[in-house]
Amino acid sequence: MKTEDLKNNKDYKYGFTTDVENIRSPKGLSEETIRFISNIKKEPKWMLEWRLKAFNRLKALKEPDWQKPKYPKINYQDLYYYSAPKSASDKPKSLGEIDPKILETYKKLGIPLDEQKRLNGIAVDAVFDSVSVATTFKDELTKKGIIFCSISEAIQKHPDLVKKYLGSVIPLSDHYFATLNSAVFTDGSFVYIPPNTKCPMELSTYFRINASETGQFERTLIIADKGSYVSYLEGCTAPMRDENQLHAANVELVALDDAEIKYSTVQNWYPGDENGVGGIYNFVTKRGACRGKNSKISWTQVETGSAITWKYPSCILQGDNSVGEFYSIAITNNHQKADTGTKMIHLGKNTKSKIISKGISAGKADNMYRGLVEVKNKASNSRNYTQCDSLLMGNKCGAHTIPYIKNNNSTSTIEHEATTTKINEEQLYYCNQRGLDQEEAVSLIVNGFCKEVLQQLPMEFAVEAQKLVAISLEGSVG
Amino acid sequence: MKNFYNFKVDNIKGISAQEKEFRNKELDLFSKNGFPNKREEAWKFTDLNTILSKNFANISNDYVSLKEKKFEFIKEFDHNYLYVLDGKLVSNEFKFEDKNKVLIKEYDYKKQIPVRNQNSLNLLNNALATGGYYIEITKDYKLKKPLVIYNQFSESIKEQIVSYKNSLILNENSELTIINYTDTNSKNNFFVNSFDYFKLKKDSYLKNIFINKDRCNCYFHNYLKSDLEQNTNLDNYILSTGLKFNKIDIEINLNEENAKSSIFSALSLGREEHQEIKSSINHNFKNCQSYQKIKNVLNDKSRGVYQGKIFVKQEAQKTDAYQLSKALLLNDNAEFDAKPELEIYADDVKCSHGSTSGSIDLNSIHYLKSRGIPEKEAFQMLINGFLSEILEKLPEDDLKKFLTQKIGRQINGC
Repeated sequence: MKTEDLKNNKDYKYGFTTDVENIRSPKGLSEETIRFISNIKKEPKWMLEWRLKAFNRLKALKEPDWQKPKYPKINYQDLYYYSAPKSASDKPKSLGEIDPKILETYKKLGIPLDEQKRLNGIAVDAVFDSVSVATTFKDELTKKGIIFCSISEAIQKHPDLVKKYLGSVIPLSDHYFATLNSAVFTDGSFVYIPPNTKCPMELSTYFRINASETGQFERTLIIADKGSYVSYLEGCTAPMRDENQLHAANVELVALDDAEIKYSTVQNWYPGDENGVGGIYNFVTKRGACRGKNSKISWTQVETGSAITWKYPSCILQGDNSVGEFYSIAITNNHQKADTGTKMIHLGKNTKSKIISKGISAGKADNMYRGLVEVKNKASNSRNYTQCDSLLMGNKCGAHTIPYIKNNNSTSTIEHEATTTKINEEQLYYCNQRGLDQEEAVSLIVNGFCKEVLQQLPMEFAVEAQKLVAISLEGSVG
Repeated sequence: MKNFYNFKVDNIKGISAQEKEFRNKELDLFSKNGFPNKREEAWKFTDLNTILSKNFANISNDYVSLKEKKFEFIKEFDHNYLYVLDGKLVSNEFKFEDKNKVLIKEYDYKKQIPVRNQNSLNLLNNALATGGYYIEITKDYKLKKPLVIYNQFSESIKEQIVSYKNSLILNENSELTIINYTDTNSKNNFFVNSFDYFKLKKDSYLKNIFINKDRCNCYFHNYLKSDLEQNTNLDNYILSTGLKFNKIDIEINLNEENAKSSIFSALSLGREEHQEIKSSINHNFKNCQSYQKIKNVLNDKSRGVYQGKIFVKQEAQKTDAYQLSKALLLNDNAEFDAKPELEIYADDVKCSHGSTSGSIDLNSIHYLKSRGIPEKEAFQMLINGFLSEILEKLPEDDLKKFLTQKIGRQINGC
């Protein structure tokens, strides 16, 4: 596809590119690249060693092949692992120092970096390709003792916290993509909420892949200390290109006693065109540990973008009475493929988990829920409820459900139900009769189908997500 | 690691050079990966390789069958029978049926039946299987009485593998109820690896029941493939309790319109029993139905596994498929694992599945106790109630009574 065509293509409104000068690492995956990344970030020695350890481990690992969506082999030597706007090489101290082109980009995306102008009370960390370009509302958060900064900054300023928690949920040598991330991660967000603090505003990161031939490897680490609460949002977009780009992020959450973390994602990476050319490979590892008693982690995700989505936000329920939740909407259209779900591992007593997953499949897409619920021997009185519903639109798409259920405790209860149907003709007819056209009707019914999940999103995101649901399915019926 | 098995095609007598070559090829394929472990998706919850290596020192295929063995005839209901020893057909009797309506002969190994999901145990079966039967029911004939297959094993068999293949053809508009009755209480450890093939031609009806007589120390794996034509019905009942290890792998292909299949299972497991049901129901044509209901009661250190898959092809519109697995866990050492899977490519379908596992409702126990019923009895009542849903579905009164009694004894025994 030519650049001009891209500009005219209105289906994916985030498909533009920003013309900024970049600094890139040497091409390919090597020790040299890792040293380059570590060096440009002025990382301490222990961090470089950690990365190299991951890199050594990576050599022994193989890419997983059990997943349903198959993809052409990725040439890891043909990628840039670090790409940053030149103007950001010395991190700007104030918003005025950020390259106006980047500010413009975020404005186009609807992400306000300008603190005066924003009203909605969300603190944003904006990640552009491999680096964090701006973090808003720092002062206000600092007053409360909350640390919200890019992970690179945290490595330098809060090494003790990073050392203690980095890799404690997703170990260094977890699986191929997680280990790859550990070796080459470039930036991401770091959040620490001190004990008995309720974060006064929503924290948010906006990820943007701009440069071509780059992979984005960000790492997010959120720690909620005893009795604290935080709600964190994540959004992502990328320009339209006819090449596939790799996004392999790691997200680690740690909730201590009585703490609660709410993590919401609206993922709208470029999904490729209607013939399945281009798009992002979204291979993400997200895992949360409810370490303390009465802790809670809640994942909410709206997955509409990416050529291939492959992620399983999970909860390890270690503390007694801890709670894990997973709400998901995955929409696939055209040639998109999604293989997503969750893992709930019950270790502590009286732990509870709830999974609500809604999959919508249209065009020639494939949508899969894959999940694990495991109650270990000592997790007495634990409870799980899982519901996964799939909606099929048209007869060229597929919807699949693969739950793994393991119960090893006689006082615990696991319930799972799933249905697969198409849009109810009668409901459509009813809507049409009342003057809604086919597309409006479908959007209304689908939004109703997803309601349980949309309700979990913070308000601003819910509105965006609802629109996204409608846009993603445009032209899929009729 | 030292191999705990030693299989030789040369141990099989009287086969042609060509067959020998084929069997050796299959054995080589098996040897590449050996017995399955958790890395194989079909064995996600069971590491058979480890289980066998712990319990066997050296499995071989050089057993010698005893000449004659007595078997205890079931008196509770009238039936025809087939007597099978170590997989080999010994005798049969069809005194309730018309002459020349049922054709019985030995299994023909020249014909190969491909399976959808090749697994290493099938390869091993291809390499080592001997004996087995072939039954064909004539067109328009409905058997008056059920057919019991008495499966026995020689007492001398120990540390050995017994492999065989059977096939059963129901011609148009015929009907049969078959009971696979495993009759062994051997304390010896041995492995039985069998393959069954059912072909149901237009308008035929087959009821297939698995049950066993006693507890034994044997390991069973059965792959059951079935092809269903138009307007056919296949009902499977899995009631086999008491085996040390049992995995039934069922492949059902609904190939023509209005074919129906079901799997019902009521299992009450104790001690260190391991029971696994794997199903793969393939809706290859429109307007077919499938139904699965699996109920497990697990005590002691037992383990129940259910891996069910419903596959709906793009052209299989108007499919109606249902899957439910429920387990009662009575002991913290017991475990239930389930993987109810849906793979759907057609949009106008009704597919759903459910799975629950949990403990017995203590409120109900309390209720019964408060009405003067001792705790042990209260538990048994609730377990009976839990399984009765399946038992009610059993066909024919005499047979139902016999099977219910048998299962009742098993529940009370544990």
